[in-house]
Amino acid sequence: MLRASREKQQAQVAKQSWPVMVFSVGGMKLAARTEDVEGVSSWTESIPVPSRTPFVQAILKRDNHVMPVYDLASRLKCKLQGDPLLCLIARHLDGPMAICIDADMPSLETVDTMAIRPTGGGDIETLGSVMIADSEVAIVALQRLGRSRLDVATS
Amino acid sequence: MTLRGRQNQTHTLLETSSFLVVRLGDSYVALPADGVHGVFTQEEAGKEQAVTTAGITYQPVDLAQRLSVVADLSGLESRTVLYSNGRSHGAIGVSQVVGLTDVERKDCLPLPAQFQREERNWIDGIMLYQDQLVLILNPSWAVGELADIVPVAVGQVGQITAATPAAVDGSC
Repeated sequence: MLRASREKQQAQVAKQSWPVMVFSVGGMKLAARTEDVEGVSSWTESIPVPSRTPFVQAILKRDNHVMPVYDLASRLKCKLQGDPLLCLIARHLDGPMAICIDADMPSLETVDTMAIRPTGGGDIETLGSVMIADSEVAIVALQRLGRSRLDVATS
Repeated sequence: MTLRGRQNQTHTLLETSSFLVVRLGDSYVALPADGVHGVFTQEEAGKEQAVTTAGITYQPVDLAQRLSVVADLSGLESRTVLYSNGRSHGAIGVSQVVGLTDVERKDCLPLPAQFQREERNWIDGIMLYQDQLVLILNPSWAVGELADIVPVAVGQVGQITAATPAAVDGSC
């Protein structure tokens, strides 16, 4: 009885908090659910692909996998900072996708889902925003990054 | 399984396509080898833009510009590839002719699904050659056709992705 009650409590806590990874692009702090991140490693050169899909104009090879590069810095109209830059592999709905991020090493945080607020007027797919270390940080919806942009551009 | 069945299976597994791999700047691209009519040095191609040989005029194609890459086409290794898809004939300037290669169908990778627009008609797939990523170009796009395709509507993206060879098993 006591054990069942404790498990229920733990499940509730798990539901009420999200582990997120905090990273930066052009000095802008962003977050992503850790379950949407496949990994972070050093950036490797990408090769350009002629493309009219917004912000998807390169591919790179990681181990034996070829994946598209999403140019998040261009979308946010900022310039990547630091050296060496890092590569975030997102678990996108269409398959793994590489994103170049600042050299700052990402950190892990846990956020209270009740504290997540809708992001207003943003130009990026988010799950909302949350206060982390006195800063409002948007939680990027990595799984559907670029999808609404495509919808808007083609409608 | 019969012996005949095994033979057929082996034949299918070894299905290959031949490509000419060329370099433009830092980018490597491949063209189906059956469309290659010749490879000229700059001297042989002459200073004229179009190249006429064996009664066929090959119009100049600025493939580097179409690929949005910076390429030096005046180096010692630069060449002009005479290419035809049967309808259009192009003289394609490249930084280097890297080589001819046979690629098994299973080794041709599709363009990732995140690429959702006209580029799916331009690029037939991706392959690895000497540890380099190589874009397999649609010959029609490479010689200057397919330049002005109407943008894809949202509802059609899935249909086009499904219909493009890159989305099917093997892309060659």
